[in-house]
Amino acid sequence: MPSTVANKGIVKRGGKRPSEPFNPHKLHVSVRAACLSVRTPDGEAEMTAAAVTNAVITWLHAKTEVTSRDLRRIAGGHLRTFHPEAAYLYEQHTNIM
Amino acid sequence: MTVVSSLAIIAFAALIHASFQLSVSVMTLMSGHAIGHRTAHKKLLRIMSGFMAGAAVMTMLLVSFSAYIADSIYGQQVPLIVWAACSGILIGAGLSVWRFYYRPGRGTTLWIPRSMAKYLHDRSKATKQSTEAFGLGLSSVIAELLFLVAPVVVASLILVRLTPDMQLLGILIYTFIATLPLMVVGGFIGSGHKLSTVQRWRENNKNFLQIVAGGGLFVLGIYVYVEQIVTSVAITAGAQ
Repeated sequence: MPSTVANKGIVKRGGKRPSEPFNPHKLHVSVRAACLSVRTPDGEAEMTAAAVTNAVITWLHAKTEVTSRDLRRIAGGHLRTFHPEAAYLYEQHTNIM
Repeated sequence: MTVVSSLAIIAFAALIHASFQLSVSVMTLMSGHAIGHRTAHKKLLRIMSGFMAGAAVMTMLLVSFSAYIADSIYGQQVPLIVWAACSGILIGAGLSVWRFYYRPGRGTTLWIPRSMAKYLHDRSKATKQSTEAFGLGLSSVIAELLFLVAPVVVASLILVRLTPDMQLLGILIYTFIATLPLMVVGGFIGSGHKLSTVQRWRENNKNFLQIVAGGGLFVLGIYVYVEQIVTSVAITAGAQ
């Protein structure tokens, strides 16, 4: 993981919770969980999560600080190209209840 | 009012209860987290069964408790003023559900206190055991009490007029119908279907569910008014 990306600050819940450094593993796990939730095989879920995480890391290089909402939106957008069903659930996660 | 019509009203109140969506939302989230963390299928089924049992037990307790209170205060003769208040609450709740049940925007976000939604969200994420799921099922019914109070109170006021064995039957009918959506969603997920299918159906049909729930409350309110108040007043006037 490039150190520049690890130093990016993620603003949580519009500043209501303390900011934290970007954690690619956390993003990977959440995307993989969305894929598994729509019954995607393990291997495919891992590959999709890795591809989405890499795409988000590339996008992050140009930024200094982003919100967790931005991160979810961008990750969801990339996930949509790989796995639309998983992307739907990933984007809906905060709107279910 | 005959036993059959009493049970039919209880069933109708339970149908309105069933059209409220919080427990289904919590179960969808909880199953999503469990499947997303590679939980074994048998364990997933245990967790979902625990959740359904919790929701069923809390529903049963709510109706029984409400009926007990009604019986302790009024016995079998519920005063007209109580029926009038009940009718007003039903109509008011129906209009509120039409207007406020879902928050505007995408998804199926409900008008429940955000702190409560966050608590349920966090708990659904943390739930790993069927006993925890049971507790979550109990809490999810409590969290929606604001909307559930109207059908529960009507069912309990009808229940107190029945004989003890029919009361038991009424409570079982109410609980079964009220938890039916959870059983359907549980069966759907348990049989290997995608969670996205469930959520997409819920999102596409949320306006329909909102109209059904609000309309049901409204119709029940009008029915209670006509059946309990207008009829009683007409009979009293006729006797004089």
